[in-house]
Amino acid sequence: MSVEQDKTRFTWQNLGDVNLGRPNLGPMVPVTVYRLMQFTLWDVLVAELGNEQANDIMVKAGKLAGTEFCRTMLNTSLPFNEFIAQLQRVLREQSIGILRLERADLETLQFTLTVAEDLDCSGLPCTDEVVCRYDEGFIAGLLELYTGKPFSVKEIDCWASGDRVCRFSAQGIRD
Amino acid sequence: MMTEVCHKLHTLLEGKVPELIPTDHLADTDERRLAQLLNELFAYLQEVQEFILPLSQGTLDKIQPPRPRNFLGSPFKELHSRLLHLTWQANQVAQGDYSQRIDFMGDFSEAFNCMINSLDRHERELRGRISELQEALDRITQLEGILPICMSCKRIRLEDTDPRQQANWVAVESYISKRTKAMFSHGLCPECVERYRAENF
Repeated sequence: MSVEQDKTRFTWQNLGDVNLGRPNLGPMVPVTVYRLMQFTLWDVLVAELGNEQANDIMVKAGKLAGTEFCRTMLNTSLPFNEFIAQLQRVLREQSIGILRLERADLETLQFTLTVAEDLDCSGLPCTDEVVCRYDEGFIAGLLELYTGKPFSVKEIDCWASGDRVCRFSAQGIRD
Repeated sequence: MMTEVCHKLHTLLEGKVPELIPTDHLADTDERRLAQLLNELFAYLQEVQEFILPLSQGTLDKIQPPRPRNFLGSPFKELHSRLLHLTWQANQVAQGDYSQRIDFMGDFSEAFNCMINSLDRHERELRGRISELQEALDRITQLEGILPICMSCKRIRLEDTDPRQQANWVAVESYISKRTKAMFSHGLCPECVERYRAENF
């Protein structure tokens, strides 16, 4: 994707044919490498734009990723429970994390869920802050595409704040 | 100071969370630091105790989890999270949703997933049986009522068809075979054997 492209022009095809391009090394990389990319990018964003704006960009990027992931990898026509079972399975198969839904209220669009062994923060040293901004956006993007409603997702417990579990609260906004 | 610390630790070893140690009167820096650290430990343990006791009795809602950075409490928060997830999954299964599975929770996963598979299999078997019984019932129903039969040749007229059309009259064997699992083998009864002989020999 060229630098001129707006983020909203992202398509799954931009990711290329990994199997064709990496016939020997394959599609997987260590989580450390993923974190190296994300945390250095975040670090530069914070240095250039400040905490608030950098965090906002990470959430927006995560939301775009969640939306495209949902569009490409998931069947959004399934009923809610089957959709969650499918999401849990795909996140596990893709080694993204272990999804565990704790509460779901389809009337009020309130959900509480955890993602264990997640890519972003599991095993990080304690820094007294929640760091899964990208995940917040990712979950919001998934839920928005599935429900067709905007979502606000906040991380309420995080490995990086000493919790051993990343717990998210998601609130849908009805029309 | 040492006497007070020993007393507090003794209380702790008895399973009770001791009162905090007053620090205002402590002039010695090391003693004050020790008291502060112990107070922090007591506060952490207090939080853990207030969280784990109701949790151990099955209360999952309306309990206050330990604060972030309380490392003594974080495994219990993880346990709490997993119990909430198990509860949600169990509720879905109770409503007949067998698509749920528990991932990476050791013996829990194995037992729970085994239970879902078993419930799913039994329900499928039951549905199969019900379907077979329904089909049998349908067949029985089809043989109920008054059958229009030719008083001469004993052919049966198909339901709701024109009696003037010969094609609508079928042999008894054909009629019953199509509506039940019964099959026919042909032979002659003694009376018919006699008549057959008389007519043909």
